[in-house]
Amino acid sequence: MKRWSAGLSAALVFALFALAPAPGAAQTPATTYTPPRTREGQPDLQGIWQVLNTAAWDIQDHAASLGVPAGRGVVEGNEIPYRPEALAKKQENFKNRQALDPEHGCILPGVPRLTYMPYPFRIVQQADKVTILHEYSRIIRFIYMNGNPHPEGPIDWFMGDSRGRWEGNSLVVDVIHFNDATWFDRAGNFHSDALHLVERFTPTGPDHLMYEVTIEDPKVFTRPWKISMPLYRRQEKDIELLEYECGVYLLKQEWQKPDSPLFNQP
Amino acid sequence: MRRWLFGALTAFGAVVVILPVTGQAQAFYRPDTPKFPQARTWVAQRAKLPAYKAPRTPDGVPDLQGNWNGPVGGGNDDLEEHEYIDVTTPPQESYVSDPPDGKVPYTPWALAKRNEIRAGLARGWPGETGQRLYTDPSSLCVNGMPRLALGGQEIIQKPGLVILLTANTYRVIPTDGRAHMSSTAKFYFGNSRGRWEGETLVVDVTGVNGETWIDSAGNFYGPNTHMVERMTRVEANTIDYVITIDDPTIYTRPWTMTYPKRRTGTGPGGNAGAITNAVAAAAGAARAADPYAKEVWENTCLEGNHDNVVLLKKLGFKWFEAVTPPR
Repeated sequence: MKRWSAGLSAALVFALFALAPAPGAAQTPATTYTPPRTREGQPDLQGIWQVLNTAAWDIQDHAASLGVPAGRGVVEGNEIPYRPEALAKKQENFKNRQALDPEHGCILPGVPRLTYMPYPFRIVQQADKVTILHEYSRIIRFIYMNGNPHPEGPIDWFMGDSRGRWEGNSLVVDVIHFNDATWFDRAGNFHSDALHLVERFTPTGPDHLMYEVTIEDPKVFTRPWKISMPLYRRQEKDIELLEYECGVYLLKQEWQKPDSPLFNQP
Repeated sequence: MRRWLFGALTAFGAVVVILPVTGQAQAFYRPDTPKFPQARTWVAQRAKLPAYKAPRTPDGVPDLQGNWNGPVGGGNDDLEEHEYIDVTTPPQESYVSDPPDGKVPYTPWALAKRNEIRAGLARGWPGETGQRLYTDPSSLCVNGMPRLALGGQEIIQKPGLVILLTANTYRVIPTDGRAHMSSTAKFYFGNSRGRWEGETLVVDVTGVNGETWIDSAGNFYGPNTHMVERMTRVEANTIDYVITIDDPTIYTRPWTMTYPKRRTGTGPGGNAGAITNAVAAAAGAARAADPYAKEVWENTCLEGNHDNVVLLKKLGFKWFEAVTPPR
């Protein structure tokens, strides 16, 4: 990973910080767009969406390498405020990412990572829940809006427990009860089971949502930080979610290998 | 792991009971469990029902929305009629409503293949060879058509769409008249296209890959199989589910499975008649008071299944590939 700070002058760093809004101060993007309403009267965010960025590889600014497109990061200010020992672990993760990236095991990728993987997803709204259907491994994410608070913990879930509410035209989702088995990207950015997310999905036009996440994890980060990116409505006339059965493809491939580590781990 | 509630995996070499992934709690049955009614009984009941017109969605199509159970008994074991086999395999009628004998009309080679698969299940069932051949693909988290329909599910309707949700997978069925994808593109769940015919949602499924089973006992289809599902609300709380499966390369004629899907909480559910009924009733009462009872919480498969996958691999089960006719 090309740590961004190594390649930028101090002046440019200052300029970037000056331009970036303060992390943690999640603001609904200034928009005058008023989305249509569902029959229940909610802002209608339904449809098939997908990111168009390189956050799946690295949520920070990064150069290209074989199989990895270069990209602007999605982290406000680009810096992730790791605690010193956590930064060392992140660097180890990056060095050993081929072996350590949980994505290679086809497990549930966690939130927010699943949102910016390069697969489409469909948002479905009902009065008491928002359901996100992901093409990736046919994962279903339920965001409950039924008035129940987060269930009592401790609970260790890959995808956390999502409780949503409407703030103006934004869907705001509070997510806790994570495990520490997922990463943010393929570059080793990670979190602990103390992860707390506040996600905001804000329509900025008929075919765009602004997706913002405030990320808090006192075991790993010194302060909350924020990522943001647009989600794009897929425009193809007959777009539909197809199928990427990650775990099945992996098992099928490894089943034929007598020495596959998949079956020989302790 | 909800999908592996019954982890009766014993030491290597002993009888290993590998249970199918059902998405519902596993039930246990006594030898004197009455035979579960399936297609034969349901078809007779259905014939006596008065005509029913379902309420309409705001888009004017029949409203099938809500939470629905799978068939009585869970719908995962041998789909043909059978007597009591073991604690997880109660006696039941066939799911097959046509042909009338309740048997899957395999061609001779395909029947031999099905029987070969069954003889190598290593479930401790009568007639097994003791050799291990294939394990039920759903034991390895491989899910596909048409088995999803055999579990409980929530149906959601949106303009031009019907969405079927189970605890850990889904189908989205367009009803907007679009054409199928090329059937050269194969998927575990195929490519579904729906249309409304009066009271009935008709779903035409092409492009299946044939790599999953229809039950946990080795009944199979193939990559050329065509399925047509018909879902009709025949009572306020009952959906009549009918699936016709056709593949001249495997079967001598199209065949049909039929069963009722009851609205969750309104009648016999997946575990009716089980030894665990009293436990289920107590759990049901507790759930009625639980504000989270209607929520579906994280439900994983591969993530919690690693030990079982490793065991199945070490036991020597082969990976089930799609079956095609011998040349």
